[in-house]
Amino acid sequence: MKRREFLRKGGWFLVGTGCGRGLLMVAAASAAGADTRWGMVIDLTRCPADCRACVQACRQENNVALHGDTRHDIHWIRKVTIRKKHQPDGREVSLPVLCNHCDHPPCAQVCPVKATTQRPDGIVIVDHHRCIGCRYCLIACPYNARFFNYRENEDWPNPEYPKRSHGVAESCHLCAHRLDQGLQPACVDACRQAGAGALVVGNLNDPESEISRLIAGNPVQRIRPDLGTEPKVHYIGL
Amino acid sequence: MDIHYQPLEGRSPGYRLLLAVLLSLVAAGFFATFQMIEHGIHLSGMTNRVPWGLQIVMAIFYIGLSAGSLVVSGLYGIFGKLEYKPFARIAAFMAMLFLVAGLLSIVTDQGRIDRVFVEPFAHLNPTSMFSINPALYIGHIMICIFYLWALFKEKGNLTKFSSVLVVLWALCVHTGTGAIFAFVPRELYNTALLPPSFVAAALSSGAALMILVLVSLFRITGRVLDRVLVIWLGRLLAVFIIVAMYVILIENVHRLYLIESREATGALLFHGYSAWLFWGGLIGLGSVVPALLLFRRRTGTSVRWIVFASVLVVAGVVCERYLIVLPGLEHPPDLFPGYEIVASPLDEGIVTYSLSFLEALQALGVLSLIGFIFVLGLKYLPLLPTEARAHGESQMLRELIASVDREPVEGEVVSRR
Repeated sequence: MKRREFLRKGGWFLVGTGCGRGLLMVAAASAAGADTRWGMVIDLTRCPADCRACVQACRQENNVALHGDTRHDIHWIRKVTIRKKHQPDGREVSLPVLCNHCDHPPCAQVCPVKATTQRPDGIVIVDHHRCIGCRYCLIACPYNARFFNYRENEDWPNPEYPKRSHGVAESCHLCAHRLDQGLQPACVDACRQAGAGALVVGNLNDPESEISRLIAGNPVQRIRPDLGTEPKVHYIGL
Repeated sequence: MDIHYQPLEGRSPGYRLLLAVLLSLVAAGFFATFQMIEHGIHLSGMTNRVPWGLQIVMAIFYIGLSAGSLVVSGLYGIFGKLEYKPFARIAAFMAMLFLVAGLLSIVTDQGRIDRVFVEPFAHLNPTSMFSINPALYIGHIMICIFYLWALFKEKGNLTKFSSVLVVLWALCVHTGTGAIFAFVPRELYNTALLPPSFVAAALSSGAALMILVLVSLFRITGRVLDRVLVIWLGRLLAVFIIVAMYVILIENVHRLYLIESREATGALLFHGYSAWLFWGGLIGLGSVVPALLLFRRRTGTSVRWIVFASVLVVAGVVCERYLIVLPGLEHPPDLFPGYEIVASPLDEGIVTYSLSFLEALQALGVLSLIGFIFVLGLKYLPLLPTEARAHGESQMLRELIASVDREPVEGEVVSRR
């Protein structure tokens, strides 16, 4: 191949790949839908204290590791029981705590390799093939919602969904793989099947969606909104 | 004034034994690291609540040490103090090695070491302090090498230029390292005073270690080291200690005063092991005692006491580094202000970090590796001067020594062959 010919062919190749990539990006952006912004409402008045349906469904769906060691167990969603301080016989509330998919996620801000990123629809997601395992996201998350694979996960209940190797961080991704197929997250389905229906996931940008109506019609609270992270998990009855 | 550099012969059994010991410790460190690559870092003492441990403590300790070495080196390059020229090369060499140790500690601490050399180059995130810092560290190592080259070739102007550059760069490196913690929304981490207090403790620990290394090297290899120089370095160290103590105290008073961080700071300062580390290790033995020793006329002019004070300072700064990293993690983030957590599958309360054997082996391996390179450097590079003497301008100190010493000024030299 002559030099001139090489340059010409190389030039066309570069232009071609550039355009292709651009088109792919445009397609991805439109597929995600700029008007979708996923959020969650948890109605604690309908959430029984002893029910763990959401937790178990999440483990089954996403192969979340349970090693029998509280130091290394992973909980994408966990039930936490709280009580007002200095009121020993006060009311106890049991609430599911999960990744808040913050609008300003500190975990994504500190990730050195952009393995944790925010999708255009607001879901905070980890690329397990890129994470280098520095654990800076665990430190930056103010909600203790990030976890690290200290050990190899032996269980693989859902072969449709990958399990993670040891050495990478992970957290709830709001079952993005299911939302993208038009399904609801595993925890939401399980909660509905258990008869509670306390969990609602929907589009916060759509004023007609169930979630928007719930937020508009009820006093809702979020965990530590004072930190300015704009968490998107809302609680009714906290 | 001509300075003659004479590397070690490196043929004595002691030298060879030292190399062998260091090399076997490096092998042990490799073993520990491979175990963790193979089986996961649950073999360390780290958990989901305390995701950083000894390796990060050691990393920031090493990175701090390099600053003090550079200041000693800069005494000649920046301030033109010719008497300190004999130390310039060895100090710059140590500064470089400590940066390498810091980087190695961080690299071996990662969950996926195989990706560390790929992903940061492919997808660097400019908003992460963890990606800004390695760039700063690598730049720092490069500048140190350039600076060393200028020193070896005796390039006067280049030495001056590069020593100013390297000290300014070091300031960025240390501010950046402090920012890893300061720029994170955790009660004990996010204080803007953390980077300055990091720099201050870096200077004191680095100067102290420099004194230790210089005195022991000159003594072991039977070279002449003027006592006046050691005394002057001791005074510099005393000033660094005071500055570090000032910033650390202000930092803690500030976060103790603010209601939002009062509980966490109170736990750090007055409860459990951290109270002992802070008041006993960092403030008492690590700052007040050495400062008194160095300022007192009798002990501040005795090489033995200065060396003792330096040991205390280095140990105190290890405590300080531990206190930066771990209590901030062991204390839980306040998820529900005004509420207490009654039950949770995760350890939501105060937890403690416990070091594992393999983790300690890993840290020892990193230290041994740079020790190994250092010892080799003493043999193959022109680092060690034959002698280091003070000039006439130190007359005041000489008179001071004479007034304190019962014996005549005979003992002004630390070691003589």
